[in-house]
Amino acid sequence: MRLAMIAAAFWGSAAVAQTDPPTVPAPPPAQAQSGDDDQLVVDVTGGRRAALPIAVPYMPTPQAADTAAGNTGALGRQVAEIVSTDLRNSELFAPIGPSGLPNVSFPEVTAPNYGAFAPTGAQHLVQGFVQANGNGSITVGCYVYDVASHTELARQGYVVQPRDWRRAAHRCADTIFARLTGEGGYFDTRVVYVSETGPARRRVKRLAIMDYDGANHRFLTNGQWTVLTPRFAPNQQTITFMTYQDERPRVMVYELDSGRTRPLVTGNYMTFAPRYSPDSRYIIFSMAMNGNTDVYRIPVAGGTPQRLTNSPGIDTGGSYSPDGSRIVFESDRGGTQQIYMMNADGSNQRRISFGGGGYATPVWSPRGDLVAFTKTGGFRIGVMTPDGTGERILTSGGGAEGPSWAPNGRAIMFTRGLSSGQLWYVDVASGATRRVPTPLDGSDPAWSPLRPN
Amino acid sequence: MDRVEAAGLGISVVGHVALLALLSLALVTATNNPVTPAAMEVSFVDEVGLASASPQPSPEPAAQARAPEIGPVEDAAPAPPSPAPPVQRDAVPAPSPIPAPRPPSRVQAPPAPPATAGTGRTTRRPGLGDLDPRAFGRDPASQSNNPPAATMSAQARADIGQAIARQVQPCADRQAVPYGAGQIVTQINLRLNRDGSLAGRPRVIRQLNADGDNARYAQRAADIAIAAFSECSPLRGLPQELYDVPRGWSNFTLNYRLPT
Repeated sequence: MRLAMIAAAFWGSAAVAQTDPPTVPAPPPAQAQSGDDDQLVVDVTGGRRAALPIAVPYMPTPQAADTAAGNTGALGRQVAEIVSTDLRNSELFAPIGPSGLPNVSFPEVTAPNYGAFAPTGAQHLVQGFVQANGNGSITVGCYVYDVASHTELARQGYVVQPRDWRRAAHRCADTIFARLTGEGGYFDTRVVYVSETGPARRRVKRLAIMDYDGANHRFLTNGQWTVLTPRFAPNQQTITFMTYQDERPRVMVYELDSGRTRPLVTGNYMTFAPRYSPDSRYIIFSMAMNGNTDVYRIPVAGGTPQRLTNSPGIDTGGSYSPDGSRIVFESDRGGTQQIYMMNADGSNQRRISFGGGGYATPVWSPRGDLVAFTKTGGFRIGVMTPDGTGERILTSGGGAEGPSWAPNGRAIMFTRGLSSGQLWYVDVASGATRRVPTPLDGSDPAWSPLRPN
Repeated sequence: MDRVEAAGLGISVVGHVALLALLSLALVTATNNPVTPAAMEVSFVDEVGLASASPQPSPEPAAQARAPEIGPVEDAAPAPPSPAPPVQRDAVPAPSPIPAPRPPSRVQAPPAPPATAGTGRTTRRPGLGDLDPRAFGRDPASQSNNPPAATMSAQARADIGQAIARQVQPCADRQAVPYGAGQIVTQINLRLNRDGSLAGRPRVIRQLNADGDNARYAQRAADIAIAAFSECSPLRGLPQELYDVPRGWSNFTLNYRLPT
């Protein structure tokens, strides 16, 4: 670590400074503004890129009460467990507890006993409570403190129905994550993916949805027809995917509320690789027509597809920039599979990937600064900037494909294992990877945005 | 070889030997008197005595370079009929934990420097001399050219700055920094008690390089700066006599820079 010292001022200015009041316990603001000149200045450089040690003790309840999701005392313990697990899953935190930490009484939630947690080495402290309300709802309180400076950094309260207690815990973890990393949270999210089971020749592929951590898992299709490439609408009202239903490969739209499914495009052409526009109004997809595959755009509600590309070859896998102004897609028009960029109306098409091997499945990050892709030579997940520079491979070992961004644009979920897949995610900054638990094999994950409150 | 040649050769040999002896003697004399460099004042920073930059702390202000100008004290005040009586100020009995109360004076007098090692000697200064910045802190009666003990010289600043930085560094190194954060510099104002503990909550004065993509990490960078200092507080071993002098360590600025 670098350590430097700057002399505050040279002697010549010192005599002038003497006309200031001596002994300055609390300088007037004007003086503080020019602190360089009339104050001692100390320079310190320090810090490390490492997981943040954070203590998460069990959360007390002011009064134990039974709710539809169990006793508030038990819920307080479970919420703390989830918060701790969420933070650990992110790979950016090193949570301590909840087990093994001192018990926190309800009054201590807002007046922490910092001394009790200092020996754990934690730099931050999460406390909270679970309280039953008169109307059947519960309140989950969530506080994060700085142990060294004895400061409250953030607090949030969540009033939820008891069945949504896990969401309250995830949102608490999101609050902590956002406050302590500067990045957006992504724990109160869901994942839609393809659940796979059975032998390779008769693989059953069902659409499934779950919380990001694998909880609340359920199937959306029964497995009669193979499904591929599900995508969440940004407004989380619909899911689009490709199916071989009735032996006709085509893109469908699934309405989450009603459970109804309908084809996106009428007609007999093969459609695939759908993805929503950021405003959830359009879907871009690929359609094979007369021996040529191009990227098209169509309103989610249906209508006439508008063709965006027209070069010979296969143009597919389009993904919008977060502002909706540009589209990144893959094409083999140059002889190999590469990533291209165009304006949202199809103009100004140009290639952006030039590294060795092929590139596929580009996905623009929700933050806009990166494009994730599958490098087909070796099947690894990587990122590059939208102008094609700064390529960085994130995964090792091969067999990885199909990236999907977390809503904060700093984590990517993907499929690992080409024959019997698993879901994994990788933290883009640190490169740390972790498997996402699924009851069966899984592939083609699509991460939802943060859920609406 | 005739006699004349032999004599010439002999004289030549004797002459060379004499010359060699002379030169050798000169060399010996020279090594006996090596060139000694001028003494240099060195301050070892590892020793946090840092009472002052002065090798011989002197309780009296430095000798005055020139006589103070005698003249009106204040712009608006009419010239006094006679030169104002000098404000007499005694040297502070030392060592003193608190600054000595200053005699009432209409002009802004410099702070009374609390001395480290009092000698009991009394210093006097003309009251109006204070108005001349060149004469500030200098006493016409003093013969000492050492800097006064209890003012913050550049060397003392460096010493104290390093002492503080060294104490904060371990806590700074422990802080977990967001991966995406660039080199944000957070400038915080710190007010300390005499025992080295924080006298108030550190206050962020400003941040540099905290715009654009870095903006999202600015709040975190401020947290880290404050936490690093708080964690290693109270500071120890800082010189009491430089506590509340101008630019003393009672109130200072910490520039906390995130690593690259």
